[in-house]
Amino acid sequence: MIVATPSAVDTSAQGAGDGILFRADRLQKRFGGVQALRDISLSIPAGIVFAVIGPNGAGKSTLLNLMSGLYQPDAGKIIFAGVDLVGLPSYQRARYGLARTFQKIRLFKQLSVLENVIVGFHTRHEIPVWRYVVHGAAFRRDQTRCRDEAMTLLAFVGLTQRANATAGSLSYGEQRLLEIARALATAPRLLMIDEPAAGLNAAEVEALLARIVVLRERGLTVVMVEHNMDLVMKIANRILVLDYGQHLFEGVPAEVQAHPGVIAAYLGGEVQ
Amino acid sequence: MKMSSPATIESPLLATASTILSSRRLWLVVAAIAIGLVPTVFSDTYWRTNLIICAVNVLLAIGLDFVLGYAGQLNLGQSAFAGIGAYASTLLITKLGVPFWTAFACGVLLAGFAGMLLSIFAVRLRGHYLAIASLGFAVITYQVLLNWISLTQGPLGIYGIAPPPPLTILGLPSISFSNPANFFYLIGGFALLTYILLDQLVRSPIGDTLTAIREDEVSAASLGINCRRWKVFAFVVSSAVAGAGGCFYASFVGTLVPDAFFITESFSILAMVIVGGMGTLIGPVVGAILLTVLPELLRGIGDLRLIVYGASITLVVLFMPGGIVQAVRLIAALLRRRFANRPAGTDP
Repeated sequence: MIVATPSAVDTSAQGAGDGILFRADRLQKRFGGVQALRDISLSIPAGIVFAVIGPNGAGKSTLLNLMSGLYQPDAGKIIFAGVDLVGLPSYQRARYGLARTFQKIRLFKQLSVLENVIVGFHTRHEIPVWRYVVHGAAFRRDQTRCRDEAMTLLAFVGLTQRANATAGSLSYGEQRLLEIARALATAPRLLMIDEPAAGLNAAEVEALLARIVVLRERGLTVVMVEHNMDLVMKIANRILVLDYGQHLFEGVPAEVQAHPGVIAAYLGGEVQ
Repeated sequence: MKMSSPATIESPLLATASTILSSRRLWLVVAAIAIGLVPTVFSDTYWRTNLIICAVNVLLAIGLDFVLGYAGQLNLGQSAFAGIGAYASTLLITKLGVPFWTAFACGVLLAGFAGMLLSIFAVRLRGHYLAIASLGFAVITYQVLLNWISLTQGPLGIYGIAPPPPLTILGLPSISFSNPANFFYLIGGFALLTYILLDQLVRSPIGDTLTAIREDEVSAASLGINCRRWKVFAFVVSSAVAGAGGCFYASFVGTLVPDAFFITESFSILAMVIVGGMGTLIGPVVGAILLTVLPELLRGIGDLRLIVYGASITLVVLFMPGGIVQAVRLIAALLRRRFANRPAGTDP
């Protein structure tokens, strides 16, 4: 419900007209002597699940951090819904509709599950500033609205029962789901999920995949970094393969599976 | 928390009654009554003086807790901000003849402005570095107060600072602040108002925002929170409240010397916040009262009191990291559980 807010569905309106929501052009990122990303270009159409895969150290997370604004690229362009994002800090990118989760879970551990999600409404409160000091009916309406929407999001990820638990007390799988609910609270147009399956058991992975599919059906664009190939093949519409910071291949799952270079990169062999 | 209950009640009278009875307001009323009664219980000058110092410390402590307990930024500049408030307002009154309340407002604004300047530079730093930067600011401010003799009269101090002018409210006999009881009502009332203001802030989404910054800045930023701006905001609020405490302090004591704003004051305030319980507003109030009154109560045992004082702070920090408030909550939870378990235990 909440995902289908106007900002989430009118993705084509501000797009380039060709349905591309996110575009990166020849991105470069270097850490000291290490070239983490070299000349990475990609185009993500609205409404698909776009996966980035590759062996450890391929630069997947670096790419995601460049997209979300945690890092700035050394060179290259990042265009989201027609806006040039290079130089914008992550809090401003979040306001344009980019949301993310983290590989190493970063919840507000001492806050409750519900409060974690409510923080995600930061940019979406509909009350004048002075209401923060003099609470009144409008303030309570806004509080109730955020609470209800947050509960809807918790129901979506199946954490309704845990709403009042401390976020730090959740199981690993629950924490991943909570990060997704919190990211959704910002009403994003593009959701970046970093290693969703890391540390989850098979049942939890299934539940998570089902959620991601529902999000796509509601019109949300999902970018997923993952090194578990099976999982990616199940739900991704397009896959970008990185290896040693370089573009190795991009295509639909079947193409990726058949590509000898990809297989070599994963098995560590030489390209024939 | 239980917002739905007033909404479901039709009668506006019942609705107001239930709102008034919600425990938070009840406690505020209790606090107001306590502030009203306390000077009549302690009628000698000695204890009334302590009460006023208590109220000033409460102000400084809740101000520090706003930036430390909520936003997670260790600000060791509280002594400096109080000093800026105190000296600014006093100099405006004694040198320029500015009326007290105007000078008070200027002192508060100036302290807030100093907090803003410091924090704009300092919020790039985190943890220990921020603490050191703010401590450095406190040292510099102290040195300026001490050495800018043409303005502050340095260690000689400023004497004979008048209390605030008598207050006249709509035909009632005017209230003179040369009476310590009335002065206590003034500062106590101001501290209560500040408490309510900060309480409203931390119960609004601002409280969640600041806590989010305390817990994890990277993830707060990923949700659209401009961490730097909110940290500056918390700093400004904190320093302005300290400035107000300083203004009141100067006009009550009547004498200003830089030593009153030495950096150890910052640590005393920090101890109050930690002992009472960080991240709750009531904690620092408890801590401030306790750590102001305790040394006075222990005067009977001579120099031993410093040992008892130091030892009790150390014990609290070691065994109750969440402070007195956490300890009380733990005990309350234990009692509640025991109370809830009893019927179940006796039944079979």
